Amino acid sequence: MSWAQIAIDGLALGAAYALVALGFVLILNAAGAVNFAQGDLVMAGGFAAIALASALPLDALPVPGLVLAPLVALCGGGAGWIVAEIAYRPLRHRPPVAVFIATIAVGIVLQHGANGIFGAAERRTPPLVSGDAVVVGGLTLSLQTLAIVATAAIVILLLHRLLERTQLGRRLRAAAEDPEMARALGIPVRRLTALAFALGAGLAALAGLLLANVYFVTPTAGLAFMLKAYIAVTIGGWGSLRGAVAGAFLVALFEVAAGRLFSASLADALLYAALLLALLFRPEGLFGEAAGRRA
Amino acid sequence: MKTVLFLAALAALHAAAAARAQERVHLPLLVPITGALALEGQSERDGALLALDPPAAAGDAARPLRPSHAVFDTGSNPQVAVQAFERAMAAEIRPRAMLGPIDGNSMLALLPLAEREKVALLSVSGTARLTELGNAYIFRFFPSDVVVKAAQARYAVEELQRRKIALVYQNTAYGQSGNEQLGRWIESLGAAVVYRNSVPVTTKELSGVIAQVRDSGADAVLLQLHSGSSALFLKQAARAGLALPIVGGSALHQPSTAALLEPAELKGVCAETASAPAADPGLAGFARTFRERMKSEPDAFALAAFDAVNAALAAARMPGPLAENLAKLRHAGLAMTYESDGKGNMAHDAIIVCYDGTSRTPRIAKRYARPHEAARR
Amino acid sequence: MSGRARIAAAGAAPLWLAAAAAVAMLAAAAGAYELRLLAIAGCYALAVLGYQFIFGRVGALSLAQGAFFGLGAYASALLALKLGWDFARSFPAAIALAVALAAVVGATVLRLASHYFALATLAVAELMHILVIEWVSLTGGGNGLPNVPGFVLFGWAVPRGWPVTAFVWAFAALGIALAANYSRSLYADGARLLRAEPLAAAAAGIDAAGRRLAAFLLSAAFGAAGGALYVHTLGVVSPEAMQFDVMVLILCMAVIGGRNAVAGAIVGALLLVHLPEWFRALEGWRYLAYGAGLLLVIVAAPEGIAGAVEAPWRRRLGTPAAPSGRTPIPDAAVPAARAAPFAEDRAILAVQGLAIAFGGNRALAGVTLFVRPGEILGLIGPNGSGKTTLLNLLSGFHRPDAGRIFLDGRDATRDPAWRRARAGIARSFQHGALAGDLTALDNVALAACGIRARAADVFRLPGRDAKRRRARDAALSALAKAGAAGAAHTMGADLAPAERRRVELARALVAEPRVILLDEPAAGLSDAEKAALRSALREIAARGIAIVVVDHGMPFLIPLASRVVCLDAGRVIAAGAPAEVVADPEVRRAYLGAGAVL
Repeated sequence: MSWAQIAIDGLALGAAYALVALGFVLILNAAGAVNFAQGDLVMAGGFAAIALASALPLDALPVPGLVLAPLVALCGGGAGWIVAEIAYRPLRHRPPVAVFIATIAVGIVLQHGANGIFGAAERRTPPLVSGDAVVVGGLTLSLQTLAIVATAAIVILLLHRLLERTQLGRRLRAAAEDPEMARALGIPVRRLTALAFALGAGLAALAGLLLANVYFVTPTAGLAFMLKAYIAVTIGGWGSLRGAVAGAFLVALFEVAAGRLFSASLADALLYAALLLALLFRPEGLFGEAAGRRA
Repeated sequence: MKTVLFLAALAALHAAAAARAQERVHLPLLVPITGALALEGQSERDGALLALDPPAAAGDAARPLRPSHAVFDTGSNPQVAVQAFERAMAAEIRPRAMLGPIDGNSMLALLPLAEREKVALLSVSGTARLTELGNAYIFRFFPSDVVVKAAQARYAVEELQRRKIALVYQNTAYGQSGNEQLGRWIESLGAAVVYRNSVPVTTKELSGVIAQVRDSGADAVLLQLHSGSSALFLKQAARAGLALPIVGGSALHQPSTAALLEPAELKGVCAETASAPAADPGLAGFARTFRERMKSEPDAFALAAFDAVNAALAAARMPGPLAENLAKLRHAGLAMTYESDGKGNMAHDAIIVCYDGTSRTPRIAKRYARPHEAARR
Repeated sequence: MSGRARIAAAGAAPLWLAAAAAVAMLAAAAGAYELRLLAIAGCYALAVLGYQFIFGRVGALSLAQGAFFGLGAYASALLALKLGWDFARSFPAAIALAVALAAVVGATVLRLASHYFALATLAVAELMHILVIEWVSLTGGGNGLPNVPGFVLFGWAVPRGWPVTAFVWAFAALGIALAANYSRSLYADGARLLRAEPLAAAAAGIDAAGRRLAAFLLSAAFGAAGGALYVHTLGVVSPEAMQFDVMVLILCMAVIGGRNAVAGAIVGALLLVHLPEWFRALEGWRYLAYGAGLLLVIVAAPEGIAGAVEAPWRRRLGTPAAPSGRTPIPDAAVPAARAAPFAEDRAILAVQGLAIAFGGNRALAGVTLFVRPGEILGLIGPNGSGKTTLLNLLSGFHRPDAGRIFLDGRDATRDPAWRRARAGIARSFQHGALAGDLTALDNVALAACGIRARAADVFRLPGRDAKRRRARDAALSALAKAGAAGAAHTMGADLAPAERRRVELARALVAEPRVILLDEPAAGLSDAEKAALRSALREIAARGIAIVVVDHGMPFLIPLASRVVCLDAGRVIAAGAPAEVVADPEVRRAYLGAGAVL
């Protein structure tokens, strides 16, 4: 297998990780707290897609997953809104660690809800587009892989435009940066924070749909996604959206490349060893903090 | 034949042995229905429940034995398993037997407790270690890894005529126990392990592993992976065009694993197991009832638990301590005939199932009676 | 001491009684199952007590506590199985191993800031987890190690059942005693300030790195102790004892119980071990109920159960009184400056060509100035001119890109903040940086201690009470001098803004500094209060202490300062007598042109 193939595999994996990590940062910036349920929201997105697929007549469609994608993202968004209302809002004036624990609890509920409803078997979501792999110059490009990368790229671009170019995006950022000031300016901080949760969870659910076709999903899968997103966000620079995307691709490419060179267990160990080294030489992430610390 | 046996087993719960008064037998089911091994644990629970909770259609004849049960989640964790054991022992009717969790490490934690409390511990775990510790209270109704790995290795070496084996195993108790046994059998059969890789459950992209297998020059792949990783390996191997025969561990016979794959991706793939209730025409009766009651496909773990519970109930009907009865019982179960080897191994046979690439239901390619004894010779 | 005060001083006494009663009640009615759960909770309680040192008190999110727990379990089990050691030897050895590992890890990763520290500890924990899985020949791999013996001490095996549970809880009680002792120590007060206001802590002479390391080592020791007890209670060890779920469980126990209350660790461990067991009847759904229960508890008691129980108790009793109500206020309330071994005209603090940039933004571009003992130097300049940045450089919070800082003729440019504090630079902050959960008195007293902290201060050993008493006496006189004696027993969080400034001034004074840096000390004060502050500052300066005051309010500063330096865009544009500087045309253009009123 050539390195070009590895790069493509890493790109697809990285695209999905990037969605998870972006959602993580959106919520992090809005709530000032880590959403530990982010990985379980990915898992829940996968199962939501499975439930929707069995309820809808999708088999005849050439693009079953693409039809599902907006629905799944919407379900995820709704779940995010609920998380904001039950796990964040009652605790917003409390230490961030209280929100952290509340989201751990939400993650447990999601995991065991899925286990109770769907059982513990691995499941698979419908493909984004049905069709076989194309072989181009010795590279196997599965249509699914291409569709994942394309979908993630479009969503990331849309999100970028939303945050940078629209009034809503500016307000979202203002509410995240200084809620008191934003409130004084008449910005509805509460609704915008809930919206950030909804966006973050929607991205997670979408990632769940993309990942679960290629890599399957099981109720216990959340923690691994959570750890990957957490690593991506931290090495990318805590709180930085660009950093999160870069970190996600870096983690995915490392994972795939190390998995090609070494045993899979050793690849896991090397990821953590590399992280330690990176932190020792770049103690504030590879790309620096989003906001410089001032005394 | 198997159907008849199955019906007989169900009927046995209701009629027979009228000589003894209605004796209550309490059988706690200690099963990991949450956590990492919940898939296997849920199968195990469902098989046991089918044996304990016969359908109303079977009639309400006077039963000499009144079995009762309770389900205790062991959370795929030895600590939780030990807590479940103590809780189960506190029941109103003192249990004389329990179904133990499928994860070997939880079983290892329960063995000393079972010995102390003199409770027969029924097991469907394959971990070889369990019956090597001299414990008189373990009764394993799923063939040990010593047995099934012998069948898996013999199929690859003797039937498929392969000499250079790549071994890909999960970095869990299940994978490591299988890896150890497979390595031993492959070498004793005159073949060589040319490649080994230990795969975490969380590793999703296995294309690197597959490329390494190809580079190693292996002529067959033996897998000892859980359901999800098994399916990932087959899917990605098919995509990468890996044209080597693959013989998997028992996870590969599970209908839930095959459901993740297209039939074409399964072409030529084989797997060892104790039984294949969803595919074996001889077990159609069991499979039908199981599907009706449990709304899912039965696998070998479910059938092993079903047989184990029936054997325990048979032993309970005999006079004397239940564990001693089990040790000398010869039980004609649905999957096979069970009999202790003196160490608590009750199951000694294995089968190999293979997929032909047209459906997700495999056919039985070979039956091995005591494959480990033949291989040793 | 009044009875009320004595109860309050005992802190979480009611919680203790409740917890002891609960344990006794459970043990009395217990069968093997209840005893088993209690014993397991005791093991986790120790790990949580340990976690409170690093996470609760110092506020560093370590994700390695689960790994230390697992390490203790594996180490004790391996020593027992492979070398035949009894518990009396394997237990201390397991703890020593964990502490040694924590020292290596701590020395390298403790300097990382919050999330990066968390990620680094996570990486260490995951590496250890992978190691125990893959090193099959030593650890048994995924299957782990069966048949770990029970507790054996010098040939005596602790009988199973309640003796084992009692044995575990005896260690837990020892851990509780140590942690409770710590929480009343000088160190713990410093940790509170460190967590709430790290910069203020450094300015009070508290060596943050040293304290974080001490807390990390303690947490590892307690974690390994819990794990070692756990493995002999359970009889097996497998990678499940070291996986991330254990870390999450310990974290939840700490937060649910109460991050800083010793009783919180016990309540958290007991509750979260029992909670999933209460829902056993739900079979496969039971962890769903557990998760929902966890959510309810954290929403109902965000500061932890111990916090929720303590809060109304505190309110009823009023704020805790000082241990000694009759501390005499010394006549000479202002501490004398240390005998000055330098000439009057020699600068105590001097900087040369100081420059620093933040992300390309030049905050200071070559500042040179000095201050003599007994002098009050006013630092003025428009917003963003670099005044506070200069103070931060003087305090040692940032390291300059260029330039040097001399303290009493010695180059102190590379000294960390706490060391400069100990060398005699004290300071106040714009926003009044106090620990909210300490009284004003203790906020000031801990600065007196911080300057002369010793490792032995970690625990409240005999003789340390006298030290604390002396610190409180000094604090009381400093408060009196700063005009805040009346607020001595008010909690930091409850102080009015003007009081906060006075308390901060007192904290600066108590360390017997040679230079005091004050950042806008008069902001928000009434005219009368300003006048009082001015005379207090003059009196301090008269003792030979140099004072640097940053302030916007010219009417406050001009009559006070002996000299004034004006900064603009990171440069000194004028320096000299107040009247001269104010009259300087460049100053007028840069600063007064902006509309400020003289």
